[in-house]
Formats: sequence, C-alpha cells, structure tokens
Amino acid sequence: MDVGIKIVFDLLAFTSVMVLIVLGLGVIASMMGIFNFAHGEFVLLGAYTLFLFQESGLPSWMGILAAPIVVACVGLVLERLVIRRFYAAPIIAMLGTFALGLVIREIVRGLLGGHYKSISEPLAGTITVAGIDFSVWRTTIIVTALVVIVASYLLLSRTSLGLQIRGALENPALARGCGVSTKRLYAMTFAFGSALAGLAGALIVPLYQLSADIGTRFLVQAFLSVMLGGVGTFEGPVLGAAAVGVMASGLPWLVQPVLADPLVFVIALAIVKLRPQGFISQGRT
Amino acid sequence: MADFRSGSKKREGEGAVPIDAGRRRLLTGAGALAASGWIAGVAGGWMLRAPFAHAAGPIKMGIATDITGAIAPSGNANWQVAQFAVEKINKGGGINGQPIELYLEDTASDPKIAVGNVRKLIQERKVNVVLGGITSAMRQAIKDPIVNRGRTLYIYPQLYEGQECTKNLYCTGPTPAQQCDELIPYIIKTMGKKRFALPSANYVWPQLLNKYARKVIEANGGTVVFEEYYPLDQAEYSATIGKIRDGKVDCVFNTVIPPGLQPFVKQLYESGFQKNGGVVSCVYYDENLLNYHPAQEMEGLLSCLDYFQAIDDPFSKQLQADYSKKFPGTKFLFTAGSASTGMYRGIKFYETAVKATKGDLKREAVAAAMDGAKLAEGPGGGAEMVPGKMHCKMNMYIAVCKVDAGKTRYEVIKKSNMVDPKEC
Repeated sequence: MDVGIKIVFDLLAFTSVMVLIVLGLGVIASMMGIFNFAHGEFVLLGAYTLFLFQESGLPSWMGILAAPIVVACVGLVLERLVIRRFYAAPIIAMLGTFALGLVIREIVRGLLGGHYKSISEPLAGTITVAGIDFSVWRTTIIVTALVVIVASYLLLSRTSLGLQIRGALENPALARGCGVSTKRLYAMTFAFGSALAGLAGALIVPLYQLSADIGTRFLVQAFLSVMLGGVGTFEGPVLGAAAVGVMASGLPWLVQPVLADPLVFVIALAIVKLRPQGFISQGRT
Repeated sequence: MADFRSGSKKREGEGAVPIDAGRRRLLTGAGALAASGWIAGVAGGWMLRAPFAHAAGPIKMGIATDITGAIAPSGNANWQVAQFAVEKINKGGGINGQPIELYLEDTASDPKIAVGNVRKLIQERKVNVVLGGITSAMRQAIKDPIVNRGRTLYIYPQLYEGQECTKNLYCTGPTPAQQCDELIPYIIKTMGKKRFALPSANYVWPQLLNKYARKVIEANGGTVVFEEYYPLDQAEYSATIGKIRDGKVDCVFNTVIPPGLQPFVKQLYESGFQKNGGVVSCVYYDENLLNYHPAQEMEGLLSCLDYFQAIDDPFSKQLQADYSKKFPGTKFLFTAGSASTGMYRGIKFYETAVKATKGDLKREAVAAAMDGAKLAEGPGGGAEMVPGKMHCKMNMYIAVCKVDAGKTRYEVIKKSNMVDPKEC
C-alpha cells in the first residue's frame, strides 16, 4: 500500500514536470501555429534567472517570481524582432527558432563556463504523512502545476482576452475585422507562453542541475506531447504531456531503463498513427 | 502560349535549384554548429616556448586535451597541471640540461575534431611525446594517429575501465582493480554492507568497471541485487529507487554520471536511503564534485582515488600550495578525478625515462626506460610502472565525505600502499 502511494506520487511528480514544460509550448503551438524550437532555451533562461538570484544572495521565491517575468520580456522582444516574420512560414519558423535557441543556449553555456551548477530547493526536506515521506519540493511542483493549468484554462476560456485569443485562432481575418489587434494578441500570447516556460525552468531546476542543456533534455518529449495531445486546443497538449510523463516514469518499472526511453516514442508514435489529430482535435485545421 | 508556358517552366526549374541547395547548405551548417559547440572553430594550437636554449634543441611535449566542449573543466585543469609540471622541470634545468617545449592542441570533447588536431601535433610540430585525452572514446580515437600511424609515445592520464594494452601507450591513472580491490572489501568487511546495487550510465566505463566490481563483491561474500543501465540524461529514477528499497540494498555503488546524476542522488536521498543506514559510493568523486549536490546529500559518500587534497603528505601539500601560487583563485583544481594527478605523473614518468636514456628521445629507447620506471614522489605518493604492463602501481585512498556547518570535505579513512593495477 505504502509502496503503491509512493509510486503514484512519483509518477504524479514527474508528470507535473512534463506538464509544466509542455504548457508554454502547447499554448504557442495551439494559439499561433508556431512550433517554438527555442522553448527548451526559454526553460533554461527561467532556470538561469533563479540561479542568478541565488548567486547574488536574494531569496529563492523572488527568483521564482522573477523568472516568468524575465523570460516573458525576452519572449516579447524576440517576437517583435524575429518571430513575427515567421508567421506566414511555419517550417522556416522551426529553423529560425532553432537558431535562436542555439544562440541562447551557447551564450548561457559561456556564462556558466561549461559547468553544471547545483541549485538548492527553496523548500527542502520531506513531510511525513501516515508514515510515508514526501519531498516538499515535488509536492510544491504538483500543486503549482495544477494551479497553473487551472489559471491558464480560466484565462483562455472565461476572460474576454481569452475569447479574443481564441477568436484570432479560429479566424484571424474576421478577428481583425472586429477590431481585435491580432498583432498585439500574438505578441502577448508568445510572451505568455514564454512566461510559462520560464516558470517551469525555475521550478524544475532544483530537481536537476543547471547546465546549458537542461532544456534540450525535455524538448523532444515535449514536442511528442503536443503531437500526441493534438495542436489547436489547450487541453490537448496537457493531456499529451500527462501521457508522456506517466509513460516515461512508469515504463522503467516494467522494462530495462535503456529500453524505456525509446519505448515511450514507439508507443506515442503508434497512438499518433491511429489518431493523427491527437487526443483532442478542434480549432485550426 | 506554348512558348510562354515552357519559358515559365524553365524559370521555375532554374529557380528551384539554388533555393534547394541554399537550404541544404543552411541545414548542414546548423548541424555542424550544433555538433561542434560554439568555439571549437577558433581553436588553434598553443605553444609554450622553452625558456632557454640547448644544442640539441628542446624536447617537444604535446598536450592533447579538451579545452572546449562538454568536459572543458577537466581539460583545462589538465592543461594547467601540464604547464605547472613542465615549468618546475624547466626551472630545475630541464631534463639532462635540455628544456621542454610545450604544445597544446584542443581535442574539443569531440573525437572527430580531435583526430585532425592531434595529427598537427605529430606531423607539423613533430612532438616527441603526446599526453592527454580524458574520455575513453577520446583515447580510442587519438591513439591510432599517435601510436600507430604517428609512431609517437602516448601517455593517457585518466582513471578508466582498463583493458588498454597497446604498445607504447602508457596509462597513469587508476584502473578498476585499483579502485575496487580496497574499497569493496572495506565496505563489506569493515562497514558490514553486503547487498549492492550497481546503477550506471550506459557507456563503456560503467559496463567494464561493474564487471570487475561484481567479481570483487562476490569474492568477498557480498551480493549484487541489480545492475542496471540508464540513458545518460535520464531525469526520473523512481523505478530504480523502488528496486533499491524492495531489494533491501545497503550499498549503492554508483556509476551514473552527469547530467543524469543529480536527479538520481536527490531521489535516493529523498527516499531516506542514507537515513536508514545505506551507503553510497562513487569512485570518480573528487574535490570538483564536493559542491555538486546539497551538503546533506553528499554526507557519508565514499570515494576511492589516488589522491585527495586532505592527504597528510608533505610533498603533496607543497605541490598543492605551489599550484595555487601559480594559478591563484583558479576554478580548475588539481584533483584526481579530472586526470590532473595522472597528467602530473605522466610528465614525471617521461622525465625519469629520458633521464635514463641520457637524452635519447627515440620512442623505443624512451619506452624501454618507461618500463619499470619509478617515481619517488607525486600527488598522493610515488608510483611505479609495472614492467611489461604499461600501467603503474600507486597508493590508493578511501575517503568519506563529511559535512561541517554546511561545508563539505573529504576525510581519508584508509590508505593502501602501491596497489597493483592488474592490467595486461
């Protein structure tokens, strides 16, 4: 029983990490039709922001709050300068964002001197409930992931801003005709997606290690999640991330760990083959 | 109409070719950039001129190490230690009065780049000996251009998985026997831990080290509960932690490496493994890794290496002090895990051999003198090339990580004199 609860907790914790990372990518892919290959580097920038705060002796919670703001600003600038030129050509956008990601990654690598940095958890230790130890920080990540999902969902489905975003997604020309500035909306959506990536980076980096490649580790699985869940909705990528997260952490219980990694892809690709539109399909087709 | 149509078709066709080629160029360009890292392209060669002249010219020593790329921190430490050791020799009048000239080529953590750069050392610089390479993949890539095609002596300084028995290739770092023969019996007999787990990164060093470790564990009455390999960047280890708990493992003999290392150690600590009396040992941990994990996760970790800064040996202490004086405040430490001690030992072995040949730098003569060469002193003590084996005996130390007021340090708990490498 204890072991069962522990397994469920571990699966949930890793799934939350996946969901946090995929959320920003999913929002940008679904709402704007752009696959942001620099997403991993936005995650890295969030992690790096927390590192800078800790280095300069500022409290960690400040770093975690600052990370999404800093990365949103970076995202906004990049959108205005570069990304907006790619909206007409999604394939070129992949190459362009890949290049941006490469530049960011190698700059951070230079700043870190190629080292791996250990970031301590803002809330360390474990809490014991009914004789079972739970890591405080993993619990925080699970709770934050839930809060962020619900908040993002409400923002997109219940506010007038969300309505405008969804409108611009369905029919950009009509939205513009109704006086909605799609230019402004796209910039804001991109910044919002970047902010989610920054938050994810700051939250997960204490579990791992800060190195320039922290984002690339998750990038391919994140794309798989978006494909699996389906582009064009908010729920799709979240469900896809949950599926990939459960598979990635659950399969090593059943098979050799070296096999588990490729097996996640095999299963996911098989599902995509059977359901090319993803778990949920709607919106731009 | 017909003319116009065929003309327009032609224009399309003409246009398509350059666009396609351009895109292909762009793709290969981006690929090469990603593969080589950002400053690999500008890496030229470096040279440290001999400080004085000699009728026979200087002895040319080539260093091929990873100045850039993923393992640049270790490579730079190697380069600094090489400069340090050579400067000491030159200040003392060189080898038989002949100064050493030092040549550096960057192997860039990438065997493909390394092979070309190492050839430069051999063909253009015409060095008498090459020292360097850190990973086994690097050694495998550069040994042929150096030893076979290049007909030059090669010294490999890093602790490794053993089984390198190429003629004219000398290994000056610890082998699996040196790292396991003392540590594992200590864990089993002195600490009373008998149930081992061998979680490992999936590449050659852990595979071969585990093969040897398993033999030593079983010979000493211990059991291997599981031996498992992970992708190098695995981020989630709950299944492994579950097996450790269910298998009642009391010693984790870890060969997981970064970037997969940090999440593994964290999850292991969170599971309460150490709190419940479990022991973690990891034989590549040196001073560079002291701050790799939060202090509480490091506490009690066992390592076994040829040198620790905590060793109470006057020569080693002086060496460390001199190194700090030459490179004040450097972040590239003189440690065992980064091949630095092997580099120092390698240069001193070469010095001893050339002294014995009375200045004859021919490979066969120097190799013959290397065989059975002895160093009276060095980091962690002296060393002795085992005749015919191309590996050396050296002192090995078992150290445990202690935490004082949140600061981590190693405490040496056992010294073993002149441990046999048992290779070749």
